[in-house]
Amino acid sequence: MFKFLFKKEQQIQELISRYLDNLRATQEHFEKAMDCYFDFGLGENCDFLIEQTHKFESRADDFRNEIIEMMYSKVLIPESRGDILRLLESIDLIPTHFETVLFMIQGQKLKVPDFIAPDLRELMRVSLECCDLVTRQVEAYFKKTEDIKPLVTTIDKHESRCDHMEREIVRKIFASDLDPFEKMQLKELVVQMGEISDQADRVSRSVYIINIKRRV
Amino acid sequence: MNSLLGGIFLGWSLGANDAANVFGSAVSSRMLKFWTAAMLAAAFVLVGALVEGQSGIETLQNLTVFTSNQAIVASVAAAVTVTLMTLLGLPVSTSQAVVGAILGVGLLNRQLNFAGLGKVVVCWIGTPVGGIILGIIVYKLLAAIANSMNLNIFQSDILLRLCLIFAGAYGAYALGANNVANVTAVFVGAGMLNVSAAALIGGLSIGLGILTFSRGVMDTVGKKLVRLDPFSALVVVLAHAITVHIYALIGVPVSTSQAVIGAVLGVGIIKGVNTIKRRTLVHIFLAWFITPFVASFFALFLDFATHLRYIPGH
Repeated sequence: MFKFLFKKEQQIQELISRYLDNLRATQEHFEKAMDCYFDFGLGENCDFLIEQTHKFESRADDFRNEIIEMMYSKVLIPESRGDILRLLESIDLIPTHFETVLFMIQGQKLKVPDFIAPDLRELMRVSLECCDLVTRQVEAYFKKTEDIKPLVTTIDKHESRCDHMEREIVRKIFASDLDPFEKMQLKELVVQMGEISDQADRVSRSVYIINIKRRV
Repeated sequence: MNSLLGGIFLGWSLGANDAANVFGSAVSSRMLKFWTAAMLAAAFVLVGALVEGQSGIETLQNLTVFTSNQAIVASVAAAVTVTLMTLLGLPVSTSQAVVGAILGVGLLNRQLNFAGLGKVVVCWIGTPVGGIILGIIVYKLLAAIANSMNLNIFQSDILLRLCLIFAGAYGAYALGANNVANVTAVFVGAGMLNVSAAALIGGLSIGLGILTFSRGVMDTVGKKLVRLDPFSALVVVLAHAITVHIYALIGVPVSTSQAVIGAVLGVGIIKGVNTIKRRTLVHIFLAWFITPFVASFFALFLDFATHLRYIPGH
């Protein structure tokens, strides 16, 4: 009935929804770029998908700035503004990690040896599952569509699994007879890929803390 | 009209200081524009003074018998006390200053209504205690409602803002109903005003103080309140408003600041934290104790001074 009084709150809610849709789109393009890289190696198609991922990542920054600008025009109580701002900054690091992984592969012209390719694909799959869950969790927090606690537990389990896989892949790299420089490059790539699930876990915990903090 | 200036000044300073207790948290956190808050507060103070202010006016005017001159002396003594205590940095209660000044005049007249005075003093003790109790009750009640509603961040923010506006308006109404007696009761006692005119002039002067000089105090006091958290700030505003309104119904002007301190302590008890520093509490207690005596002294001194006559040749 009084919706017209809280137009800005509705606009922020819509912008956050669009921001999350953009996050999904960034993730989708990252996944396609990685699949393309694993299947066909670097090339025109892969470059195009990397470029697309970068575009969506940049668009996320625009959305974030728009949300911040609107929030500080006397919308929401200061505590909520701070919580949302910190949460968005934390979420924003996920697409940044996508971009870093892709730029690392593209810039350093990395070649993934066959003996770790399936493991890297699995690491990517589980990491992206973490991202799916965290997007769902953030949406659930803003819309109150489902309980967020079970999602925190699942994301945490996935993140632990990613850590385990990361260690295993690094161990395999250093057990191989690859060139030491190549080993260091691949290790860096694996660590960077592992950062995706780590960041998803950090976001998930932030959402959980913000949620319990608001209970009185 | 000139003879009412002391009272109008007292009302103005009361409005400038006490509006912060009702709308400070909403304004300093930029949830509400200052002018919206000030207009709401001024309007509701006036409504409160006109609708429920009579009871307090009758209590204070019955404490002693005034002449016109003594009414002016009492209001000026109260105003000077409030100003002095504020300069000393002590959290002063206008109600205590006014009653102290009336007490001084009553001592001169050798005519004091001890039953009425007893009722007033009991209510002074009851104000912070009432604030504590209501702070606890309101917190528990609102927390149970808020937790059962399962609102998202936007919905709960909207609800909180609406509640703060409602609680602020109610607080302003209670302030007008309770504190208008401080401003003009002495003039009713002296037969210079009738009760309705006293409520109107008192309400208008408090409103004027809110509109012209409350911005700075709202920012300072509001920030102190918001340091709790928005929900606790709402509890404090509502609990202090209920406390002050109850005393308005009883007909005894009390300190809104002491009601706020009580409510903040109540919230602290619930959350298991120290919301107020020991030093602040000592200052409040000190001011609570000495304000009536200082005002009483000023009333005696001013009355003495106004009776001094220059006799040439002596």
